[in-house]
Amino acid sequence: MRAVIGNYTIRIERRADLRWWHTVVASVLAILVSLFLVGFAFLRAGADPLEVYREIIAYAFVSSFGLPQTINRATFVLLAAFALIVPLRAGLWNIGMPGQLYAATLAAFGVAYAFGAKASVNAQLNGAIVIPLMVIAGLIASGLYGAIAGFLRGRLQVNEIVTTMMLNWAMLWIVAHMIREGGPFMGRTAEGEGFTLPTAIRMPQILGLPLTVYAAVLLALVLTWFLAKTTLGYRIRTFGESPRAAEYAGIDATRISTLVFVLGGMFAGLAGLHYFTGVPGVYKIPKNYGEFADFSFYGLITGLIARNNPIAAIPVAILFGGVSGGARFMQGKLRLAFGIDYALLGVLMIMMVAFQALAQYSVRIERAVTAPARQVGLERGESRVESPRH
Amino acid sequence: MSSLLVISLAAAAVFAIAALGELLEQRAGILNVGLEGVMLLSGTFGFIAAKTSGSYLQGFTIAILTGALVGLLHGFFSITLGSNQVVNGMAIWILGFGLTTYIGYPYTGPLGLKPFPTLGGLPTFFVVALVLAVAIWFLLFKTHLGLKLRSVGENPSVAEASGISVTGMRYLAAALAGMLVGLGGAVYSLVYNPVWSYNYLQGWGFIALALVFFSLWNPFLVVAGAIFFGILWQLSLYPELLFPNIFSRYIWRAMPFVITILVFILLSTRWFRLRWGATKPEALGIAYERQG
Repeated sequence: MRAVIGNYTIRIERRADLRWWHTVVASVLAILVSLFLVGFAFLRAGADPLEVYREIIAYAFVSSFGLPQTINRATFVLLAAFALIVPLRAGLWNIGMPGQLYAATLAAFGVAYAFGAKASVNAQLNGAIVIPLMVIAGLIASGLYGAIAGFLRGRLQVNEIVTTMMLNWAMLWIVAHMIREGGPFMGRTAEGEGFTLPTAIRMPQILGLPLTVYAAVLLALVLTWFLAKTTLGYRIRTFGESPRAAEYAGIDATRISTLVFVLGGMFAGLAGLHYFTGVPGVYKIPKNYGEFADFSFYGLITGLIARNNPIAAIPVAILFGGVSGGARFMQGKLRLAFGIDYALLGVLMIMMVAFQALAQYSVRIERAVTAPARQVGLERGESRVESPRH
Repeated sequence: MSSLLVISLAAAAVFAIAALGELLEQRAGILNVGLEGVMLLSGTFGFIAAKTSGSYLQGFTIAILTGALVGLLHGFFSITLGSNQVVNGMAIWILGFGLTTYIGYPYTGPLGLKPFPTLGGLPTFFVVALVLAVAIWFLLFKTHLGLKLRSVGENPSVAEASGISVTGMRYLAAALAGMLVGLGGAVYSLVYNPVWSYNYLQGWGFIALALVFFSLWNPFLVVAGAIFFGILWQLSLYPELLFPNIFSRYIWRAMPFVITILVFILLSTRWFRLRWGATKPEALGIAYERQG
């Protein structure tokens, strides 16, 4: 596309080569513009947005209460991002993190329930046996729940976006069944929330952070290695780039799509295990479990902004874990309406897509070098068409 | 029982109108998986407009305009910028979900207008959906414009070569579809269940999207599927009408979603998949870039 303004020509063209830093700049700009736009919500409440962001940062990344919370939220987001990244490398969309993470959580609490954990917070249980069993049960459940969408996609060409979304809603109602109105996991005192895990079978901690936090960072490295260096990772990427070419190379579509969804489901499952069995002060399926389902969609946008790179996802997850928690804190402090972190999520998503799309284009401004206008006095009737024969 | 059927048809109207919009768009080659987001945005803005002005007309107008704008936004990303349509659709969905949660929250609660009039006992918008199905069928298969729209969805370069503006047709489809989906969103929030709460749509947009895939891109099958899901949804709300005392009410609420997946599985016979592959707009979800 070309527009001429005076002496200048503005040329907008699709880039032939998209460099890595183009996408980095696009992602950073998307985040900054989104924070700027959400600042208007604070402005409307009569607060100075800069001051609010300063407080958010002070709360989320500096204060001794907010920082562990940020790390725990970031771990949840990071694991949810892996749940998107693995299938997306194979060109498939997993938006089933809510369903998968609660599949794992229910399975883990099911194991605890079977061991009689509901009886008392001080139940005498052997954590060395029960905790690994909870994790294994959780991972199997979330892997299987993810597998449904992957298998249907690979075998029957059923759209995985629709399937995972249906599975999300089904799972959210199943959770409601389990923890509300006399459901088996209902807590002893509170209405509408799950029972509290006994102290003996909570996720162990190192330096005040649950083990799952360290596991998530380790998994980022393992996942990068797996996708880049192993045969299976290569097959996943090949399938993602061209399913047809992959088929000719002997890669089985059903197997690959099921596999990526099993892995994706397990990552989402680990996010659930992390938050509901590991984060201090939670240790149960809370009443507002739906909000954690929504929060897992921050994983979706983290994966997209990090351009499917598990290691790049770490800083993005930390940022979002902190800002979303901090925004919530400020929302309470400024008595804003509910949902400022949701607004940020929505704005981030559209800005990310806009900037990633715009990064595909280059804008060049050229000064037109005008040739000296030829003074040709045309006679009446003389042809204006220049031809070599004239 | 008959009141169950009536309210099922009211639910079917929402599914049908939104799915018809998506169908129109997909026939022109644009895939918008963010139906839910469009419906949330238009439904919420329509609700706010109707609640503050006290007039249904304003509510519907705002909703349809919002739908058209969001449809055009998706169109701009997908047609002009040519970026991945699935990503764009996801963005529209998350935008709708996030933004409406924040903007709509102060308006939580019932609409407070007197119920929308029915047509002799039948839900008005079910009749509207039937009329729209016929109109869209007529438009797509009996008019010159419809032929152009479909050709753009099947083979855009051939369409362009025969003098059809691919970009123009696709923008037209995106705008019309946005209006219909927006209307669908407003029918939910103003007529079917006029109580705003956060994420009130509960996945209906995705069910409507599924309907388009089930329907082999046929408007009448969309309406039939919408009626099926309308009844299913009502049964899941009042299971005691048919099956008293089995499962808790929460398990019943999960049923429509499970059944959507089951329908996908049952439909996936070899015959259906062949038909599906043959009917699917060839250029669905693929951006078109003009050569030269």
